[in-house]
Amino acid sequence: MEYSNQELPEGINTSKENPLKEFLVLSIGLLAVVFAVIFILILLVDNFADKIPFEMEKDLPVSSFIKNMKTEKMSPYLEKVTQKVLNTFELPAGMTITFHYVNDDTVNAFATLAGHIVLYRGLLEKLKHEDELAMVIAHEIAHIKYRHPILSVSHGIVVGIALTAISSSSGNSIVNDIMGTTGSAALMKFSRDYEYQADKDAINSLIKLYGHADGALGLFKVFESVAGKDLSFEFLATHPLTGNRISQTTKMINDRRLSHRNTMIEFPKEFKSWLKKQQEKSEV
Amino acid sequence: MADLIIFLTLLALGYGFGRYAENKHYKLIIKREKELNHIPAIASKIPPFRRQDLKSQLVAGNVVISVDFFKRFIAGLRNIFGGRVTSYETLLDRARREAILRMKQEAKNLDAEFIFNIKLETSSIYKGRKNSVGSVEVLAYGTAMYSK
Repeated sequence: MEYSNQELPEGINTSKENPLKEFLVLSIGLLAVVFAVIFILILLVDNFADKIPFEMEKDLPVSSFIKNMKTEKMSPYLEKVTQKVLNTFELPAGMTITFHYVNDDTVNAFATLAGHIVLYRGLLEKLKHEDELAMVIAHEIAHIKYRHPILSVSHGIVVGIALTAISSSSGNSIVNDIMGTTGSAALMKFSRDYEYQADKDAINSLIKLYGHADGALGLFKVFESVAGKDLSFEFLATHPLTGNRISQTTKMINDRRLSHRNTMIEFPKEFKSWLKKQQEKSEV
Repeated sequence: MADLIIFLTLLALGYGFGRYAENKHYKLIIKREKELNHIPAIASKIPPFRRQDLKSQLVAGNVVISVDFFKRFIAGLRNIFGGRVTSYETLLDRARREAILRMKQEAKNLDAEFIFNIKLETSSIYKGRKNSVGSVEVLAYGTAMYSK
């Protein structure tokens, strides 16, 4: 018996196709599936999340979270502006809004479940005009009016459960990370839509109060000066890029044929000195 | 954001270097297979012909090849959709052929006439994060027959 080894033919055990093609098909497929699943889930959730009675939000542990934040008494001026802005809104029956002030350097303000709005000294210090402050407050009130906190929480829970279910069956950590990022990108899309919606209502409120919406532009300029120009991708952020918010505002102002460059109301002296005292207090 | 950049960089590096290494390796494999083709590698358990003038000795060759980031990612996607995991096919093809070549090289050093009873063993020697495959080891061994 004669034995000899033939040369092995190529291309039977392996594929000659460029792996980039497979990569593109598979990753686009995965992203499409994850996005579709999440969007359908969110649309379903939205159908009932806003039917959760506002009263029930108060039973959630958010109240103790707020209590632990060391909130302090607001200055009479701050109190006055919050009420003034609140009066421009027509809130659904039974909805109550509670304002809190925290003596802390954080440059932020947020609205959360059960109608709580928290303002930080850090943000107030960056502002110079009442119009800008009114924009912040109106923006947060609008979030609560549209029940964005409860909607966001519901989205987070449902998407979290769905992604855990999918990723536990895939068994590959990198792919799981990608699905997680896709999931949060989908959530953030909704979050940004909420920001635009809140901006719109806030601008309407400013127009009711002052006859113009320069406070919105002033506030966004403050954001730019604090954070610098945005260089990141919008699809990975909870908030729209400031530049895009400015564009939306400018468009609204132009659509209503309102004038730019109106004089904004400066903060009164007593409020400035109150802020200063607050800062000194926090340093002690 | 930073995660995304790191991920894309790893993916690009994995693709670039992985592809370069694979093409280079395949060229080398094909060249050496031709060079060592005069030593038949026979899978049957018993020698094809009985000859009293030959001595036998165990020869073995083993190789460890790492999976690159790109291959691992594609394989992970395949876990979801199913289908042929082509990115691992080339990896294992290379590893098996390389192991056989190393075994043959050992046989060549003995001036062997042929190798029979060839066996191959494959194992993943290192499990990466959350049990993803890190690298594969292939061991080829057989009995080389050479002149006394």
